[in-house]
Amino acid sequence: MSVAGFVVVALAVTMYVLLDGFDLGVAAVAPFIARGDRERAAAMASIGPFWNGNEVWLITAGAALFALFPAAYASSFSGFYLPFIVVLWLLMFRGIALELRGHLPSELWHQFWDGAFSCSSGLLIVVFGVALGNLLRGVPLDAAGYFQGTFAFLLNPYALLVGLFALAALAQHGAAFLAMRVEGAFGQKAARAVLMLWPVVLGLYLVMTVLTLRVHLPGGALWLFVMPVLSLGALLGLRWNATAQPAGWSFAMSSLFIVTLLAEAAGTLFPYLIPAFPAGHGGISIFSAAPSSVALGCALTVTVAGIVMVSIYGPIVWWRMGGTIRVE
Amino acid sequence: MDPVLADRLQFSFTIMFHYLFPIGTMGLAPFVAAYTWKAARKQDEESAKIARFWTKIFAMTFAAGVVTGIPMEFQFGTNWAAFSRRSGAIVGQPLAMESVFAFFLESIFLGVLLYRRGRVPTMFTAWSAVLVCAGAWLSGFFVVATNAWMQHPVGYSVASDGTIRLESIWALLFSPFLSWQFAHVLTGALLTGGFIVAGVGAYYLLSHRDEAAGRRFVRAGCTVGLVFALLAVFPTGDRNGNDVTKYQPVKLAAMEGLFESTHGAPLAIIGMPDIQKGHLIDPIFVPEFLSFLAYGNFNANVEGLEAYARELWPPVELTYYAYHVMVGLGTIFVGVSALAVALLPFGRLWRARWLLWLLMLSMPFPFIANEAGWTVSEVGRQPWIIYGLMRTAEGTSPTVAAGEVLFTLIGFAGMYFLLGVLYLYLLLREIGTGPDNVLA
Repeated sequence: MSVAGFVVVALAVTMYVLLDGFDLGVAAVAPFIARGDRERAAAMASIGPFWNGNEVWLITAGAALFALFPAAYASSFSGFYLPFIVVLWLLMFRGIALELRGHLPSELWHQFWDGAFSCSSGLLIVVFGVALGNLLRGVPLDAAGYFQGTFAFLLNPYALLVGLFALAALAQHGAAFLAMRVEGAFGQKAARAVLMLWPVVLGLYLVMTVLTLRVHLPGGALWLFVMPVLSLGALLGLRWNATAQPAGWSFAMSSLFIVTLLAEAAGTLFPYLIPAFPAGHGGISIFSAAPSSVALGCALTVTVAGIVMVSIYGPIVWWRMGGTIRVE
Repeated sequence: MDPVLADRLQFSFTIMFHYLFPIGTMGLAPFVAAYTWKAARKQDEESAKIARFWTKIFAMTFAAGVVTGIPMEFQFGTNWAAFSRRSGAIVGQPLAMESVFAFFLESIFLGVLLYRRGRVPTMFTAWSAVLVCAGAWLSGFFVVATNAWMQHPVGYSVASDGTIRLESIWALLFSPFLSWQFAHVLTGALLTGGFIVAGVGAYYLLSHRDEAAGRRFVRAGCTVGLVFALLAVFPTGDRNGNDVTKYQPVKLAAMEGLFESTHGAPLAIIGMPDIQKGHLIDPIFVPEFLSFLAYGNFNANVEGLEAYARELWPPVELTYYAYHVMVGLGTIFVGVSALAVALLPFGRLWRARWLLWLLMLSMPFPFIANEAGWTVSEVGRQPWIIYGLMRTAEGTSPTVAAGEVLFTLIGFAGMYFLLGVLYLYLLLREIGTGPDNVLA
């Protein structure tokens, strides 16, 4: 059952990166491709109906971790106190920017919130990437499982590289989303941005994969060797489809790329939620952090039922709300 | 600075600021749903505009609630790690339910309400509004379920290492403390919704604009306000109070400012507690009435604070004042809304400008009453974080220093000040635009 719990948390995180990933990515890529108030408004409007529901996946991941693995939730959140609070502030700022932009018909007001939106989203991506990098590398833990390192420890070159990679990959994801959602010249610009980001993502991905093999022990399962091949295949497929019509294909490829990456990361971490640094010194595993079987069973039932429900009505609503946006 | 104090200040500041918005969304959601239904049925422009107007105000409030709500979910881990570690297997359950059952529902269907733009059939929109309302109330239910367990823990066992284990989730969801507490919280939010709608309507009538809509708002708002103001007193407030009497007698003593255990205890209407001397300064009493309220018997014995060790007392003054503010305001709400409803027939209310003024100026007070009620509940629970099981002082994060918390508290204060100013500015602007000029 602990394994199922791990899968649920990993699934919620993957859904978050996949879905809110395009919200954040749109924000990161918008200042480089959106010219003028109308195009920037279209970028914001493309994610308007979705971002709030997407962010719930992050809350779900947090709540699932809380209910399923309270020890891991407690030590990671309090151990990384300041980075976590900074993430909260950035998330709040991002939400405020998205919601307030449209309320006044003033261009200066729009420009301010566009800037706030892009800065906070870009920083969020980097911070999330750095966090993932540190998880893969392991963090120093004391006997009770509380984080013992410093802020400077977290800013190591490997984690920063993962942060940079995350920025490039989600910017590309956001551009692919825009290419799908927005018609006309602006949509084509977004498709070209996918092409321009592509070599950067590929390069960073290769360097990161090589370095990842060095910073932690290689896992045993066969599918851990299949996933990187799939990721690479998806990335190549993205290049192939970047300017093809319908633009949904490039977004699908980008989504596959992100899902396989996170599956690989989750598989690498397993069975640890927070591995210790240096690698091979244990850490907080799903077995040490799990509560009683009653609690695990309850939390699993709840999260799985909820996720199944939202997987049914979510896409129906999205399909209704979908369609493309036109920039006049 | 004491780290426990810093953590408590940050939690109480962030939760009290956050809660202003859920009161609004829980209270306004049924109005949005009703107006959206009406617009879908009647298909005329006036109803569509009214629905649009309240949807916009609701959406703004919802967004502010989301933005300030995210830190709440995560602060259990950042600031209260020891509490989360021991009780996460229980406290995490209703919060996970809130996330997957309530938040998804609310946020996805609100997207439909806000971004439909003619793409969506009107009945789909109307049902979406109902689902948003269901999501808002469900979310409230799960949060209150979490809190009710901290007030009166049930369905658990304590493991040898001190971890609190879940034995039955049904015991938690059907806890005897939960039902009346949630009913009271919800009636509080609904009476607030009624007073907001009535207050906005009164503003339009007083300034001779949007008058048709204004009359509708005052009529609906006052009626809803009166119904729920009455329900807030009886049965929900009364029953919730009885649960406190039963499970947390020392909290009751602090609420009422009763120091000595007394047969036929009097009810203090006003008065100021003096902890050193153990009595109320300048009280006005209703003789024997507290015994009647608590036990339904004018002669019953009510335990006073002095029946308990001092270290088990909650902060008496704050609990006492918050309780009296809540009860006093609740009584005033009944009076104001009853008066307005009484003057509704034959349109006499439209000529009673003084009462419209009163309705308009009443708008902030239900928020104060709601916050005061939660202050009674939470401050009155001290020194426990989980009643009788774990003390608040044992719950904080061992690795987080007071200085760190102070820094983030100042950061939250700055951020919330900015958010508060922006929210009020945009809200007043939206009310200034009014239902007649809103883009349907």
